[in-house]
Amino acid sequence: MANVIGSIAALMNGMWTVLKQGLEGPVTVQYPEVKRPVHRRFKGRHFLRRYENGLERCIGCSLCAAACPADAIFVEASENTDDKRYSPGERYASTYEINMLRCIFCGYCEDACPTQAIVLGDNYEMSFTDRSQAIYTREMLLDPAAPDARPTPQKVAPGSFDRSIPDMKDPD
Amino acid sequence: MTDAVKPNVETTLVNLTIDNVPVSVPKGTLVVDAAKRIGIDIPVFCYHPKLEPVGMCRMCLVDIGLPAVNRETGKVETDKQGRPVINFGRALQTGCTVEVAEGMVVVGYTEKVQKARQDVLEFLLTSHPLDCPICDKGGECPLQNLTMAHGRSDSRFIFDEKIKLAKHVPLGEMIFLDRERCIQCARCTRFQDEIADDPVIGFEARGRSLQIVTYSEPGFDSIWSGNTTDICPVGALTTTDFRFGARPWELQASASLCTHCPVGCNTTLNTRREAKAGGEMVVKRVMPRQNEEVNEIWLCDKGRFAHHYAAKDDGRLTGPLVRRDGKLVAATWEKALALVAEKFEGAGKGLVTLAGGKLTNEDLYNLAGLAKARGGKALLDSRMAGGDLTAQVGLSTGSNLADLGKGDAALVVACDLEEEAPLWWLRVKQAAERGATVIVANPRRTKLERHAAFTLRYEYGHEAALVTALVGSFSPKRADLPAAVQALIRDKDVKDAGQAIAGAKDLIVFYGSEGTGLAESAALARACANLLIGTGHIGRPNNGLVAVWDKANAQGGWDMGLRPSADLAADLGAAKAAYIVAADPAGDSPALAEAVKAAGFVVVQDIRLSATAELADVVLPAAAFTERDGTFTSGERRVQRLHPAVPAYAGLRGDFAVTAQIAARLGVAQEKRLATGVFNQIAASVPAYAGLTSAALSEVREQWPVIGRGDVYYGGTTYDNKQGLGVQLPVSGDSPALTFEQPAEPAKFKGLKAVPVTRLYDRGTTVTPSAVLHPRLPGAFIALSVEDADKMKIEPGQKVQATLNGVTVEVEAHIDNSLAQGVVLAPRSFGLAIEGPCEITVKK
Amino acid sequence: MNALQTKYAKEVKAILAKYPDDQKRSAVMPLLYVAQREAGYVSRQHLADIAEIIEVTPTEVASIVGFYTLYHDQPEGKYRIQVCNDLPCAMRGADAFLQGVCENLGIEVGGTTDDGLVTVEAVMCLAACDKAPMFQVQDYENITYYEEQTVDSTLKLVDKWRKAGAKKK
Repeated sequence: MANVIGSIAALMNGMWTVLKQGLEGPVTVQYPEVKRPVHRRFKGRHFLRRYENGLERCIGCSLCAAACPADAIFVEASENTDDKRYSPGERYASTYEINMLRCIFCGYCEDACPTQAIVLGDNYEMSFTDRSQAIYTREMLLDPAAPDARPTPQKVAPGSFDRSIPDMKDPD
Repeated sequence: MTDAVKPNVETTLVNLTIDNVPVSVPKGTLVVDAAKRIGIDIPVFCYHPKLEPVGMCRMCLVDIGLPAVNRETGKVETDKQGRPVINFGRALQTGCTVEVAEGMVVVGYTEKVQKARQDVLEFLLTSHPLDCPICDKGGECPLQNLTMAHGRSDSRFIFDEKIKLAKHVPLGEMIFLDRERCIQCARCTRFQDEIADDPVIGFEARGRSLQIVTYSEPGFDSIWSGNTTDICPVGALTTTDFRFGARPWELQASASLCTHCPVGCNTTLNTRREAKAGGEMVVKRVMPRQNEEVNEIWLCDKGRFAHHYAAKDDGRLTGPLVRRDGKLVAATWEKALALVAEKFEGAGKGLVTLAGGKLTNEDLYNLAGLAKARGGKALLDSRMAGGDLTAQVGLSTGSNLADLGKGDAALVVACDLEEEAPLWWLRVKQAAERGATVIVANPRRTKLERHAAFTLRYEYGHEAALVTALVGSFSPKRADLPAAVQALIRDKDVKDAGQAIAGAKDLIVFYGSEGTGLAESAALARACANLLIGTGHIGRPNNGLVAVWDKANAQGGWDMGLRPSADLAADLGAAKAAYIVAADPAGDSPALAEAVKAAGFVVVQDIRLSATAELADVVLPAAAFTERDGTFTSGERRVQRLHPAVPAYAGLRGDFAVTAQIAARLGVAQEKRLATGVFNQIAASVPAYAGLTSAALSEVREQWPVIGRGDVYYGGTTYDNKQGLGVQLPVSGDSPALTFEQPAEPAKFKGLKAVPVTRLYDRGTTVTPSAVLHPRLPGAFIALSVEDADKMKIEPGQKVQATLNGVTVEVEAHIDNSLAQGVVLAPRSFGLAIEGPCEITVKK
Repeated sequence: MNALQTKYAKEVKAILAKYPDDQKRSAVMPLLYVAQREAGYVSRQHLADIAEIIEVTPTEVASIVGFYTLYHDQPEGKYRIQVCNDLPCAMRGADAFLQGVCENLGIEVGGTTDDGLVTVEAVMCLAACDKAPMFQVQDYENITYYEEQTVDSTLKLVDKWRKAGAKKK
């Protein structure tokens, strides 16, 4: 007898759970109309950042490519001139490509970057219909220059940006 | 030379202990070198095994102790256990300036030494910028590596006090200086002074203001400048060619050879896939590869920078071209080869093949084979003779210019060695510094004279007479010798030089092509051979004749059976079909352009559309030296191998393969797949090459100093040789008889006499595609004597019209005050029509 | 024969005569004195001339000019007041003295007065520590020591030069 009561109680319990869940709202969202906020430390599509004056932070040092465990980054550097300046200092990345199919979004490139030029953003919406579309070029990755800044290449006063790495502060 | 093992010096061994490891090294060895020999690293910045020690950077501080000696007994004191008592000095000593001594104890692992290293590094870094990310040296930088190994982990650096200096100082057209990065080790200035003997860079000011400067005009214009970037222990010196080209760790390395001169410097081609080149693999830089018997660890700037002619750019030929309605149009390989075969078949014995001296032995072998099989002529595009003599009395197996020293002699005749074969200049100069008697015979002043014991002058055209006079100075007088020789014999310097040569233990004779055409060259080579035979300097290592060829593989050309033509214009003009491979006669001389036009059917095979190719009926493309396998034979008769560094452009094949495909259509069977296959045939059929194998060419031996492994701090970024040191051919062994031919009197001209000279930087097809060298390339010029210039009222630098062999060219007039009146220097490969001595008219 | 050799033919010849023919480079120091006498510094042209005479590169000559403090490669004041401010001198007030002189002349250390008469420089030990503040004056030809100086005495000296210069004009 006790067995029968026990069974009914368990059944009711299960029914209750189903009923409770059934009365709660849906957890799915109407993607892509509705988007979920990502976690603060989420790593998505990369961006190449600029300084406030519009110069690119990337100096083409290839350290991101060296740090990349998936060999997804290809960098080729060239020399800046004061007439055609892309970044502070002598060197800039004339080619910068990330193969998003290879990228594992580990963020090592971000860690390796000496100028904080490359950052992983929160955009995860990358889809391709062709493998070659997965290669994001420098132009695609670069942040647009701020409204009050000039785009690169800039013509600057001679000698005004002769250091690649921003001046360091005395460590406390 | 600070080389621990100096040749011709008897070596007494000294026993010492370094970091508890006992070692025996020759007396005079420095402590850092002794440590290196047993694999113990004593870090250095300013010390370099090829330079004199200066002890400037203090990085090599070690604790050095010597056994205590009892003053009364003169014996080494011992402690209770019977071990010698070691007295250590109060201060640390620099391991790079202290020579080893018996019983010495060197300690580098104590806290005291570690602390000293840390402090020295901290000092060096007080003003060193932290721009490793953009520095070309980053990744192969001794300062970076040694800081990681011995530096502090934290910084006590006051950033506000950081000295800021210019980062973009062009020292010359090839080299940039970053003043912030310089740690003032003086390796570069010492290299230019001690090794290159061209001190155009120096230190200015003192202390913190010390900096590298040049006050020379035009700047750091040395043909050795690239080497300073290799030995620079930081990224202070960078080359225009490679600046920001790639990070060192991204580069692949491939063994190759320099194709510019007969020295045959071993190189490493650093390659990388590049977006700018459309995703192709490209050669980013040429680095020296250590071969202590050839180029040591050096490379001249032509070898380092003039590699762009092999680049994959629009100028390269990608497919066959066939002339249709007067124009060269693209054709398929099938059609082009069929046409060539048909025309060659029709030409019969009228086939003339002309091969350039920068082809590999394999190419030359197949070409010569094709010509021979068809009964045609196999010609070598060279204006020098004597390849048969160098095969008989040349350098034999086991020769090394570094072995020349006291008691030995080197004769350099009719050759401006630094311009024609820079590395040999360097090595002959070093021989002079070791005590060898260097005799320079040239009608005008050349740089090697600074190191010569005897400087002999003669009239252009009397080269053979001079060498004959040297023979005459120690052999019984012969009354039948021509007047020119008799006159030279009476010269005291000639007499003394002759005695020095006769008495020399080992003798090497270099002859070049200064002022000679083919006929003069043949007489000169013969006279030099006589000198060697007459004095018994043949058949032994470090003795013999070296031709300073006008092309890298001319020796290989002679060995493969090709010969220069006595009258190239006539031979080409009369050819029913001409097969011109890697040669540009039309570009070299306007007179030959006419001959090419006169030839029946012209096939040109090259990597770029040369002036000759533009006159051709069929143009066939071939792979460049960077894209293929093959062997070269150097002037020292060392057979060396080059390897493909990048995939062949547009799927092109080596020249031997193209030739083999033509041969196959003519019923001549030749190896067309593998260069090593052809090489095996050469080894089987060319007597001097008998028994050679690719494996033998790839053998390496332990070389000193240790270079280019993990320890870039020690010797620089020159590459370690893992791909083969090559094999020096034996001489044929049959001692040829002395044959005295009367040196002919040079032709006399009514007006001025032009003589050809060779310049390192010329305007040939292998140099001009390298834009990086353009600032250093002179325009077409002639050099006049002071007297002639005065007479014609010509100022230095003035433009004049020079007419040679009926061709007038506008040239710049230079004045050479060591030149005799009536003689005009006309450089080769500058568009002047000069093959040998000829008449020239100069008009303003 | 270059400009320097032509202008000072006798002197150059006499200097060269002191050294063996294969050691010509040793003549660099006296030749630099000759060159510097003209305008108080060694011009680029004279540098090249000396290099040509002693058969070395201009860079080697420039290195020597750069190494020694008494050779100059830039035109500065006619009188160079070289104040020692090493430790012993500084302890006797050389630093304050140097500052005082400069302030009164309206220049920085290492600068030259507007009239091009005086340059004030700080130098290393001049071996007169007990008589500090002291300086030496290098004009085109001579070097003179002035010991136990004050700012006033120095300014008087400068005035004297100014007057002498004005008279000459």
